[in-house]
Amino acid sequence: MTYFEDFAVGDRMRHFRGSTIHEVEGQLLAKLVMNSAQGHFNEDFMAKTPFGQRIVFGLITASTVIGLATQDTAEDAIAELGLQRIRFRSPVVHGDTVYAATEVLETSPAPDRPDAGVVRFKHWGFKPDCTVVFEGERTVLLKRRNPLDQENA
Amino acid sequence: MTVDPASFPLVERGRQYEDFADGDTYEHHWGRTITDGDATLFAALTLSYNPLYFNAERARGEGHPDLVVHPMLALCTVVGLSVEDLSEAGGPFLGIDDVTFHRPVYPGDTLSARSVVVDRRESGKRPGDGIVTWHTQGHNQRGELVVELRRTNLVRKREAA
Repeated sequence: MTYFEDFAVGDRMRHFRGSTIHEVEGQLLAKLVMNSAQGHFNEDFMAKTPFGQRIVFGLITASTVIGLATQDTAEDAIAELGLQRIRFRSPVVHGDTVYAATEVLETSPAPDRPDAGVVRFKHWGFKPDCTVVFEGERTVLLKRRNPLDQENA
Repeated sequence: MTVDPASFPLVERGRQYEDFADGDTYEHHWGRTITDGDATLFAALTLSYNPLYFNAERARGEGHPDLVVHPMLALCTVVGLSVEDLSEAGGPFLGIDDVTFHRPVYPGDTLSARSVVVDRRESGKRPGDGIVTWHTQGHNQRGELVVELRRTNLVRKREAA
């Protein structure tokens, strides 16, 4: 269970599971979400470019990193509120394994929700050689274990 | 037996830097209905272990009418729908900012996407490229804003081609 009170600014965690991005995570999800850029699914086309092979759609990398962090940051979240400063620091190709790490940047009350609070996380996605492939901030609405009195909300 | 591809004119896709001007608006014409299968597949493949995304009973217990479509799937779909108009010609993704998830998406909802060019400039480091930023919004079938974002890409310049 993940509650608002479980997080304090500066907390860091490295998530247990990694995920190897293969065809079903990479090119399948790129096609599923209507991304028509063939750099994500045409190996012949990409073999003739400096990349030499298909590149995984960045938002699939982002979704995987956030997914790897979800059980530890938002297993019982009420809602995902938003993202900031999403950056793709180096390409991911099919066969790469991605791990995730997280730091708590901010905790704050939720407007109009005495039963909840808002946590802003910074996430990093990295390969086994520690190369960063993704970084970004994510804001989540989490339940409070101990709801505030209305007048304090 | 072989074929000579050059004997067939190529149907070109994708825009270049010179094709974008501040304020240009694109209504991405496809739209996409998010099915139950899409929602469950996406949550499973991204290891998104919040039961709202894969357990309909738990989602209903939290006041939702059905499974919740993972907001990252809504974001990926809205950006995906924008690619053929904005970035299919290639050019690396530089970043995404100011993503706001405004309301939940449920299986059966149909997402549509629209984008406005909000910034374009030359790339200092790469003379063959420009940098374009778009504000993209995704709406559901009732016209309600579901997600919005600002996306910035490197975009090839035509004279460099």
